[in-house]
Amino acid sequence: MKFEEDNPQRITSAEIVVGIPSLNEAATISFPVQQSDRGLTKYYSGKTSVIVNVDNHSPDGTHKAFMETNTATPKIYISTDAGVTGKGNNLRNLFQKALELEAKAVIVIDADLKSMSPIWIRNLAEPLFDDYDFVAPLYIRHKYDVTVTNSIAYPLTRALYGRRVRQPIGGDVGFSNQVTRSFAESRIWDEAIAHFGIDVWMTTNAVKSHGSIIQSFMGRPKVHKIRDIDSQVGLIFEDVVGTIFELMLHFESFWKEVKWSRPTGVYGFGLGDIEVPPPVNLDTHGLWEKFVSGVKKRWDIYSTVLERDNLIKLEEVMDIPAMGFEFPAGLWTKLVYDFAVAYKHELRNRGELVRSLIPLHYGKTLSFVLETEAMNNQQVEEYIEDQCLQFEKTKPYLLDRWGSS
Amino acid sequence: MPKILIVDDEEGIRMLYSMELQDEGYEIITLPDGNGLLEVLEKERPDCVIMDIKMKEFSGLDLLQQIRKRYYDLPVILNSAYSSFKVDLKSVAADYYVVKSSDLTELKEKLRLALEARIPQDMSDRS
Repeated sequence: MKFEEDNPQRITSAEIVVGIPSLNEAATISFPVQQSDRGLTKYYSGKTSVIVNVDNHSPDGTHKAFMETNTATPKIYISTDAGVTGKGNNLRNLFQKALELEAKAVIVIDADLKSMSPIWIRNLAEPLFDDYDFVAPLYIRHKYDVTVTNSIAYPLTRALYGRRVRQPIGGDVGFSNQVTRSFAESRIWDEAIAHFGIDVWMTTNAVKSHGSIIQSFMGRPKVHKIRDIDSQVGLIFEDVVGTIFELMLHFESFWKEVKWSRPTGVYGFGLGDIEVPPPVNLDTHGLWEKFVSGVKKRWDIYSTVLERDNLIKLEEVMDIPAMGFEFPAGLWTKLVYDFAVAYKHELRNRGELVRSLIPLHYGKTLSFVLETEAMNNQQVEEYIEDQCLQFEKTKPYLLDRWGSS
Repeated sequence: MPKILIVDDEEGIRMLYSMELQDEGYEIITLPDGNGLLEVLEKERPDCVIMDIKMKEFSGLDLLQQIRKRYYDLPVILNSAYSSFKVDLKSVAADYYVVKSSDLTELKEKLRLALEARIPQDMSDRS
């Protein structure tokens, strides 16, 4: 996988490795590198550390921008082959390098972060020196940010694996040497995991291995580079949901035994400043149009994937006008479970199957926006908690449809 | 018979919960505050703790942290007259947060879920 390595200081070991995966982040990568360096210098001056940029052979000069960022901490640049993209592919290189360096703590930080502060390094690393194996981030986010997390990634992984990890695709995480080895040695790998599926893949593997997991409160909201939200949501949805469904096939014997869920503690509360996340505006009319046109276009697929009762209820939902639109949580849960079962049986074009769920996700997102419009963050969290309980309560439906093999 | 520990500084609450939950078939032990909590947990090994948050000399949220350090798998339900403590991230470590009410339906439901929760040890998979 590794194509190129630039290790000017010939670093051969480090207790802490900060990995920064990237693709064309020349304009943004210096900021998280500088913040990581400050965090390592301030909190871990007694430990050896290195910052590793794991890159997708970016043609925009990411390599140069990374290496030219002034830091006290040594740096290593690693790239995949030209043409090989994906955050997952970059992290695979990081897992290997961290094992070579015999790192005790590995931290992953996104290359386009604009809101990171040095304390993030401490909050992600410190639990690892306190015998935790995996640290998931907990950010304050705007209620309309990360709709994929709120509508499906969090409730589904929680109902399946029984652990409440609020940001299972958060991106900025920490893990121990033992977990790094288990990631590096995992044979479960596909295209979705090699791209945006890697975050939920890491969280799920950590949860399933029954290691000691904690969430770390980051204080600041997660703010990163603005991309084309429309295309990004589709890509992220497909990789994340495709990965969750794929892992269901591999971890069937585990998740079938899980009942209800247990909490995951929080490290780092009260540390740093708590800031208000920037607003996220969603085009409700656009969501409505993409829901209706997408469902009409893919009705044939729904007719084969969905249980008859659910198909009838979906028809009812299609008749509700945009103003006052509502997508019942119970129906959404059953549709997601129907798709998971269909993924199990669909052997030819699972990518197309997962993409067919996206119009329904737009409908669910529209409903979420309308229902939570007047709610504050705490009320929204309680709303999401109810949605999660719906996924947990409906799990017998999934078990029944999934069958014994 | 599941054993439930109730920690609350209001005697009336302890009595009400004891009666209602005994009728549901639970064995009940009570504490008026956090004094001796860890010793009681060690000796009595309850299956679940129902704990008030705002007690005279104790914070249920701080007690929850102490419990989690030693008894990670013990279900804990926070039970407060105030919903405002939900914004405190320490409350995330509780299995459930139930606002006090004279109607114990929600508390009983969350107690059932907490006692039924099951996460298996890692088993062989197809990886």
